[in-house]
Amino acid sequence: MYASVLTKTVRDRWLGMTIGVGVLVAYMLMAMAVYRDIDFSIYGEMPDYVLNLMGVPKDADIATLAYGVMYGFTGSLTLAGLALSMGGASISGEEKDGTIGLLLANPKSRTEVLVAKAGAMVALVTLGSLVLWVASLATPAMLGIDIGESHVEAVVLHVTINTLFYGFMALAVGAWTGRRALASGVTMAVMISGYFAVGLLPLIDGLADLAKLFPWYWLDGGDPLVNGVQWWHLGLLATGTAALFTAAVVGVNHRDLRSQETSVSLLDRLRAHPLTRQIGERLAGSARVSHISVKTASEHQGVLVVSAASMFSMLGLLMGPLYKAMESSMAQFADVLPEAMMAYFGGGDFTSPEGFYQIETFGLMAPIAVMVVTIVVGAKAMAGEEVRRTMGLLLANPIPRSRVVLEKALTMVAFAVIVGVSTFAGVAGGSLIAGLGISMADIAATCLLVTLLGLVFGALALALSAACGSVKVANYATIGAAFTLHLLNGLLPLNDDLAGWARWSPFHYYLSSDPLKNGMHWGHATVLAGLVVVLVAMAVGLFDRRDLRQRD
Amino acid sequence: MNGQITIHAEGLTKHYGDFPALVGLDLDVHAGEIFGFLGPNGAGKTTTIRTLMDEIRPTSGRASIVGLDTHADSVEIRRHLGYVPGDLALYPNLTGRDTLTYFANLRGGVDWDFVDQLAQRLDADLSRKVGDLSSGNRQKVGLIQAFMNRPQVLIMDEPSVGLDPLMQREFQDMVREVAKEGRTVFLSSHTLSEVEHVADRVGIIREGRLIAVEAVSDLRAKAIRRVDLQFEDVVEAAVFEELPGVREVSVEDHHVSLSFDGHMDTLLKAVAGRHTLLDITTQEADLEEIFLTYYRGTEMTG
Repeated sequence: MYASVLTKTVRDRWLGMTIGVGVLVAYMLMAMAVYRDIDFSIYGEMPDYVLNLMGVPKDADIATLAYGVMYGFTGSLTLAGLALSMGGASISGEEKDGTIGLLLANPKSRTEVLVAKAGAMVALVTLGSLVLWVASLATPAMLGIDIGESHVEAVVLHVTINTLFYGFMALAVGAWTGRRALASGVTMAVMISGYFAVGLLPLIDGLADLAKLFPWYWLDGGDPLVNGVQWWHLGLLATGTAALFTAAVVGVNHRDLRSQETSVSLLDRLRAHPLTRQIGERLAGSARVSHISVKTASEHQGVLVVSAASMFSMLGLLMGPLYKAMESSMAQFADVLPEAMMAYFGGGDFTSPEGFYQIETFGLMAPIAVMVVTIVVGAKAMAGEEVRRTMGLLLANPIPRSRVVLEKALTMVAFAVIVGVSTFAGVAGGSLIAGLGISMADIAATCLLVTLLGLVFGALALALSAACGSVKVANYATIGAAFTLHLLNGLLPLNDDLAGWARWSPFHYYLSSDPLKNGMHWGHATVLAGLVVVLVAMAVGLFDRRDLRQRD
Repeated sequence: MNGQITIHAEGLTKHYGDFPALVGLDLDVHAGEIFGFLGPNGAGKTTTIRTLMDEIRPTSGRASIVGLDTHADSVEIRRHLGYVPGDLALYPNLTGRDTLTYFANLRGGVDWDFVDQLAQRLDADLSRKVGDLSSGNRQKVGLIQAFMNRPQVLIMDEPSVGLDPLMQREFQDMVREVAKEGRTVFLSSHTLSEVEHVADRVGIIREGRLIAVEAVSDLRAKAIRRVDLQFEDVVEAAVFEELPGVREVSVEDHHVSLSFDGHMDTLLKAVAGRHTLLDITTQEADLEEIFLTYYRGTEMTG
């Protein structure tokens, strides 16, 4: 029983982990290859403490900088993201699918099922980390890069334990609530806020020590790549993981199992209360089901609110005053950061408010925020209804298949625009509050471009959803494509011979014209919009042509 | 039953890879008719229905509903169509009423008085979220959804799954009323008893092939029954063995048990004169048994 639950869970989840790790390995390969060919002689003259700050080990080739970016950011977030999605789905996923009753009809306790699920997560994370570790050693050896005194094994160990920590956090929340979305959402929020706290708090005088309170600090706060394993930090993470697991065991045994996920939203409450029934009825009832597009929007309102709100507040409004507070220390910081590292965050420099916003808000987070909503809507558009077996009924109505595709695409566009407008409002507000004087038109231009960029990948997910009817494939393939194309755009321009190839990445048409300083580049906007139109048209054609799937 | 043809299929074939899910289906269903589509699990019933609905496209052959091609004119067809898919799934976060409103909006309106009437007949609670309903109550929402537009053609895949006997009877009444108004009903099932109460004709499908289309009255006559007879005195097996349609007779003192596939009248008349009958129970043989008995030979030719 242990073994069968464990192996089934591994079988359900190996694809995501494989793609995640595969992308990371590819990324490391590309990053190191590109870094290797860049003249980094300037770093030879840097004092030790600066290198330490940057996370570059002594005597190591500068190419090992790739380790830093990879494990401190991309790698750790990716792995933790995969683990938390697994952890969150452990028990609550089976409840959502309605299979938990059958599973527990076997003579095994809830604890045993939970242990088997957790075991599967540990096994996959460990395996993924091992592959990364091997790749981390093999890549520099292959490329002839000297890794000096880099403690790769220490970093990998830190990343592994850190990954498990968030996986088990989602496991615990899922075990207590039985809500899969809540489990992943809460854990994701804790993780992202920790990431930002650890990244930004040290830049503010007097608040540096506060960062140590966030679990994310224990990942690479002690810089394991340079200093080796930080046992104290690892101990904290491991203890936390164990505590979360205990909490999960208590939680899953404590509550009633849910039969199927029907969440009670705020609108449902409004609808139930006599005073607000009428308005609730309109919003949650008749209005919600008036069109396919509106209904689709209402299904994904959660992710939209989170995405738009964080762009408006944390990454928009807050960044203005933050820049003001740190303006003086920015200049010296800017001197020591390598261009290659900044390229990954969308380029820009820390010395101007535009550059700061570009790095913190527009470089990475804004595209992610728009893409999260567009890809969620796009990937689930057709395939989601097929997996849930409602597509047959929907198409029993006198509407052509193209209308389903187009209405769902309309929702996607509306969502992207809402996130774009929220970003604009946040950044514009932040600039006004702090008196940074960034041009409103330039902010609007950048927001429009990021909206279009997000729509390109949403439309890709939509086309894949239309073509193959599998949410998984649409999701993974689109995220994989976005990852790869983003890397290409970030890394290729660093090497003069390869710079031209960046044109093949949609990301090139987003920030390469520096819209936050130079304003709108209509040519680039046209390219992005054209891609969206072509992909949506493909989605219509592909969906019309094929058999509906009955299940995933 | 002499009405015009509403569902027509010719040579309808669907392969999944190498697997022939449906082979050369020829079928005509008439206006005002209730047609039962019978077959064991996996026989091709759902494949047929999904092909008619243009959810999947035939490998070869064609079909039409109310004279319109099921693929080329599928949108127009669906204006005249009510559908209950097999293994019905609805949106768990919508209430029954929301669900019906959604589909009504996609159709451009519905007569809500009629919806309420249907809900009342089926004793359906439309105010609760579909995800919180039992499968039988969820099925009621699916049925209302199919009936509410008073469609010209109703296509239903195992529609009475999960309904309790009382509701099954109500559902059968609803189906009969539809047919009486000259509209067409096509429903699938894997049990004969379910359709024989309501259908005029049945088509029997097995391993993707339609092996027989029969009027229910004929099929009923053919249907094998297990008959148990209890007599006042001791009887002999020979009395029964010579009767046409009787098989596998076993006698135990006052008790006789046999298989029978003729008109019940013959059996009763044969015994009534000679013995005093105390009790009789008959049990319908399952469909599989009928297949095995009657259609083993016709499978390949049908």
